[in-house]
Amino acid sequence: MIEVKNVTKKYGKFVAVDNISFTINEGEIVGLLGPNGAGKSTTMNMITGFIEQTQGEIIVDGYDILKKPKKAKKEIGYMPEGVPLYTDLTVKEFINYMAEIKQIDKKTKKEKVQKIIEETGLKDVEKKLIKNLSRGYKQRVSMAGALVGEPKILILDEPTVGLDPKQITEIRNLIKELGKTHTVILSSHILSEVSQICNKVIIINKGKIVAIDTPENLENKVTSNNCVYVTVEDPESKMKEATEKIKDIQKIELASENEDGTKQYIIEAKGNIDLRKTIFSELAKENITIFEMKKADSTLEDAFMKLIEGGNQ
Amino acid sequence: MWAVIKKEFKSYFYSPIGYVFIGLFLIMFSIFFYTDVFTYQTTNFEYIFYSGATVLTFIVPILTMRTIAEERKTGTEQLLLTSPLSITKIVLGKFIAATSIVIITILCTFLYFGILCFFGVPHITTALVTMLGFLLLAISYISFGILASSITENQIIAGVITIGFFILIWFLPRFSTIFTNFSLINMFSKFPTGQIDIADTVTFIAFTIACLLLTIIFMQRRKSVR
Repeated sequence: MIEVKNVTKKYGKFVAVDNISFTINEGEIVGLLGPNGAGKSTTMNMITGFIEQTQGEIIVDGYDILKKPKKAKKEIGYMPEGVPLYTDLTVKEFINYMAEIKQIDKKTKKEKVQKIIEETGLKDVEKKLIKNLSRGYKQRVSMAGALVGEPKILILDEPTVGLDPKQITEIRNLIKELGKTHTVILSSHILSEVSQICNKVIIINKGKIVAIDTPENLENKVTSNNCVYVTVEDPESKMKEATEKIKDIQKIELASENEDGTKQYIIEAKGNIDLRKTIFSELAKENITIFEMKKADSTLEDAFMKLIEGGNQ
Repeated sequence: MWAVIKKEFKSYFYSPIGYVFIGLFLIMFSIFFYTDVFTYQTTNFEYIFYSGATVLTFIVPILTMRTIAEERKTGTEQLLLTSPLSITKIVLGKFIAATSIVIITILCTFLYFGILCFFGVPHITTALVTMLGFLLLAISYISFGILASSITENQIIAGVITIGFFILIWFLPRFSTIFTNFSLINMFSKFPTGQIDIADTVTFIAFTIACLLLTIIFMQRRKSVR
């Protein structure tokens, strides 16, 4: 559906996107992930034809975005970063205008606009001026603008930024729903969001692709170490002795000393074993009270941080 | 392109811009009408447009300064430029919308013509030729205004560039007669004699096309440097 081949974008000497290549297949929901300034928006802007790449080729639905922009752009619904809208128009007027500039057949336009207004839950506010809407509604209007014209591909740049938790859940569900019928690319720096919605993640850092994989695989890649967080009350400072007895411990580290006198340690095991049972019984023998003990789950967050840090070194 | 024209035209009246433009022009026109017709006791409708042309110099920027600069500032240009519409159609759409506001203004001046008919027999062809010249001057001004709007994202700067340029070419002939042919207002001043000056008509149209082409080229080029 979308092929990005060896694409580079330079601003003078600054390289914003550095020789990236990836393919997105039909029906996929792809998350573009990266810290701020990694090149996510630049990449999206190039796919939509808003900016021109310095080098490389972008094929959208079989059409080169630079050589056949009209055909390629027809297949794309784009929701830019920061939801730019014509605030002087009403919701309905705006969606109508978007339908018109996307050159929708006049006969079916009215019906399609109405359908999209209902799908995105804008029925109640369709006659309101956009400038009077709340941020959440503006986001929906922008989404509706992208959806109009039945594009095969939806490109959403940070679709949930600035929303409250309830609105975030609503927008996520909407995206999931849309993912059933569209190919979706969304950018985000929120990892949990990407892992919930997407079935493929592209991690970008400093203009380069660090990883392309499913969220599950990315998590598995970094779950090699088995860590346990233990918070203990240890008045006799016997923690060191106690843990020396457990042979499977590779590393023990004091994470924090709390105000109530308890200490939190991170204990890393050799290999892939669960230490919690042994730690519990050994510490009990030494009269160390365990306040809290939990297994550290390796999350996408960790995967992300590791990959980003790896890239920086 | 029709969609852009329609939307731009409407937004002139959603914001006060359209009313301010037409209103200001008609107020000034009324004053000139009063002084010319009642003070000098003439029925020369065309001469009022002389003064009208100077007013145009100052109010065209109101119409054009936001056209592209505002889209750039608010980011809505992303919506336009990622739609299947070509840049040419976008620019033309905005140009035609602004021109239609001027046409409405010119049509309003027929009211004054009607008033004159009560007092005497004004020359209709001369009046029409003058209006044509006025329209040609207006489209030249508008196209330059749009060009200025496309090179900055600050509306005020676009407006100041536009007024600055108009005043410059207006007064240049005072420095040297070489510049006489560059002055758009000078070129217009031949029309109220009732003759369509082909050379001037062509110059007006060529100037308009050149400005619009430059705007399109600027916007196209910005794609690779943005």
